[in-house]
Amino acid sequence: MTLLAQSPMSLHDTYAAPVEHRFNPYSENGGTILAIAGADFSVIAGDTRQSEGYSIQTRYARKVFQLTDNAVLATNGFAADGKNFVRRLKQSLEWYQHNHHKQMGLKAIARLIQTMLYGRRFFPYYVYNILGGIEEDGSGAVYSFDPVGSYEREACRAAGAAQALVQPFLDNQIYFKNQQPEPGAEPFVPGRLPLSTVLGLVVDSFTSATERHIEVGDGIEIFIVMAKGRSPESLLDEKLGEGMTIEEVPPVGEGGEERTFLLSGPLKRD
Amino acid sequence: MEYNGGSVVAMIGKDCVAIASDLRLGQQSVGVAMNFDKVFPVNDKLYYGLPGLATDVYTLREQLRFRVNMYRMKEEREITPKTFTHLVSSTLYEKRFGPYFIEPVVAGLPSPTELDPHPKPFISTMDTIGCITTPKDFAVAGTASNKLFGVAEGLWEPDLEPEDLFETISQTLLNAVDRDALSGWGAIVHVITHDKVITRQLRARMD
Amino acid sequence: MWGQPMSAYDAFNAHASFPLPMRSAPKAQPVSHTQQPVVTGTSVLGLKFKGGVMLAADNLASYGSLARFRDIQRLHPLGSHCVMAVAGDMADFQWLKRDLGSILREEEALSLTDNHPSLSAANIYNYLSIIFYNRRSKGDPVWNTVLVGGWDEAKKESFLGYVDLLGTTYSSPTLATGYGAHIAQPLLREAFEAKAGLDGKGELPTAEEAEKLLDDCMKVLFYRDARSLNKYQIATITAEGVKISDSKSAKTEWGFAEGLRGYGAQDR
Repeated sequence: MTLLAQSPMSLHDTYAAPVEHRFNPYSENGGTILAIAGADFSVIAGDTRQSEGYSIQTRYARKVFQLTDNAVLATNGFAADGKNFVRRLKQSLEWYQHNHHKQMGLKAIARLIQTMLYGRRFFPYYVYNILGGIEEDGSGAVYSFDPVGSYEREACRAAGAAQALVQPFLDNQIYFKNQQPEPGAEPFVPGRLPLSTVLGLVVDSFTSATERHIEVGDGIEIFIVMAKGRSPESLLDEKLGEGMTIEEVPPVGEGGEERTFLLSGPLKRD
Repeated sequence: MEYNGGSVVAMIGKDCVAIASDLRLGQQSVGVAMNFDKVFPVNDKLYYGLPGLATDVYTLREQLRFRVNMYRMKEEREITPKTFTHLVSSTLYEKRFGPYFIEPVVAGLPSPTELDPHPKPFISTMDTIGCITTPKDFAVAGTASNKLFGVAEGLWEPDLEPEDLFETISQTLLNAVDRDALSGWGAIVHVITHDKVITRQLRARMD
Repeated sequence: MWGQPMSAYDAFNAHASFPLPMRSAPKAQPVSHTQQPVVTGTSVLGLKFKGGVMLAADNLASYGSLARFRDIQRLHPLGSHCVMAVAGDMADFQWLKRDLGSILREEEALSLTDNHPSLSAANIYNYLSIIFYNRRSKGDPVWNTVLVGGWDEAKKESFLGYVDLLGTTYSSPTLATGYGAHIAQPLLREAFEAKAGLDGKGELPTAEEAEKLLDDCMKVLFYRDARSLNKYQIATITAEGVKISDSKSAKTEWGFAEGLRGYGAQDR
């Protein structure tokens, strides 16, 4: 019995001092997510690589999820926490629908996410969330969260491994930071760019991040949520990038007027 | 590196190169000076930037000035960007086991010679002990290097004319340092062309 | 209650979804666990092929660097169309077998009596991942890395998934754990992509090619992983069901070692 009580390594290590060994319940699985709001649409994107250290675990793991007919959540950080957080969130949203016979609104989902994250304040979900979708007033919206629930509505946000690479680029291209309009021209207003411009910026952000960050690559998934009354033709006619495919994502509930599309394509695999 | 803060970026254009730095000097999180230029000329076709520990910036600048002057006197000609890069590299490697905390960036336009009548614009960068990289597009260094990589990768394109290169490098630097607490407080840009060097101070966020 | 009017609270909260479920109050006495693995199995491999999926694991259970048990089966069938391959702590593996066994028996009984569907590989995998995640969240992890391979008769497609002690999960047409992830996975991916293409949408490797590939990988692992054994089994899961092979060995060549300083007798 005394033999079994000892760790096998210490049998061979003559100088073995009692090493304090604590189980680390967290890991970090790489990848990057990003979301941009438009006037009547919202774009939420993520790459599909999942890694741990220098190993690629899989080239296709989803981290952007449709929650309701007008909300999509991107989640990044520790993949196991992310998956379980999304599972619990979806369950809450389903209960809400059964109780109230309608889907939860975007800003209510945002507050729910904060409550759930803060509920684990002292054993946090190691996850950065970005929620995108259509607000009840029909405007495109993006909410971003930290792991313990601090949140904010914004016009755009990047998070994850390549946040430092992508966010300043978005500051420049979405918020027009360090730019000024020609004398006499219209002032720049963030969150009003056309969809085609936004999609171009999203793809460029991810190809740039793939080029310079080892944890980003393999594939990209871009969810596009469109407000009611907006014609999806403008999207379907878009000249897609090389190898890109587009499909409509079926509604979660009875289906409102909002429509969600999924644009997916390849990224470099090295 | 993080003690004084600061960042440098260099870019290649069509028959021109640009090099730019922020102007902040700090002591950890406290800003101390807003006129700390980290880019220095070797001659009117060759500039280099020294982001990193400020005391080493001075030491290395003087060391390099001395060695370039010696080179000039012995060789009776100007040093080329490539040779200068190797000079910086070996100067850094001399201190292999107690390095200068500097990551230099070099940018220059080599003069035409008989052997190479149409030399290409040249940039290079090194780590703290002198390991050289010579990119074909842009080089970044300093505390905002990861941000600079992201923006430069998104904005830069091949064969930019001097004015477009100026806009690209300025936007890259400003937007990167605005997301870095240890860089910023103004910026300076040099665009080197065959007939002149355009130097401009940029008005930037001062927070 | 039937026949009685619904209370205002029930009407508002028919599914008791409010307030949000909270964590129970901390126990008075802190429970200490967090073991560490003692008797361990090394890497396991998994690979999809045309018409099914294969898993491979050697027969060794080590005690530190001691090759303690050399006839341990680390491929465990779960129902008719599913197998798990287990690396890590063998005691936790035995606990897992017992836990899953009881669930499976219950579910199988149900599936015999009415048209209750039997558990698919994906269902079992999901259940496993929840066990692993809940145990890691308690700070008392199940110290294993598991590959689950199966055949989904309804979808007519194979299943292959990974779950580890942190509750991390993922799927891929080729999978490997531990040293296998560094040594075998590149070989598996290279061979798989050569056949099925980068998107995996081409023709998958045949059963013969898959088995040959796993044989090669197990040999390479035996050469380089000091905690491995040249005695291993391969599980094949197809529409026909589960087949776990007898133990087999790879042909190895050690002649080269004679010329190495430090190998064998030290008389040179």
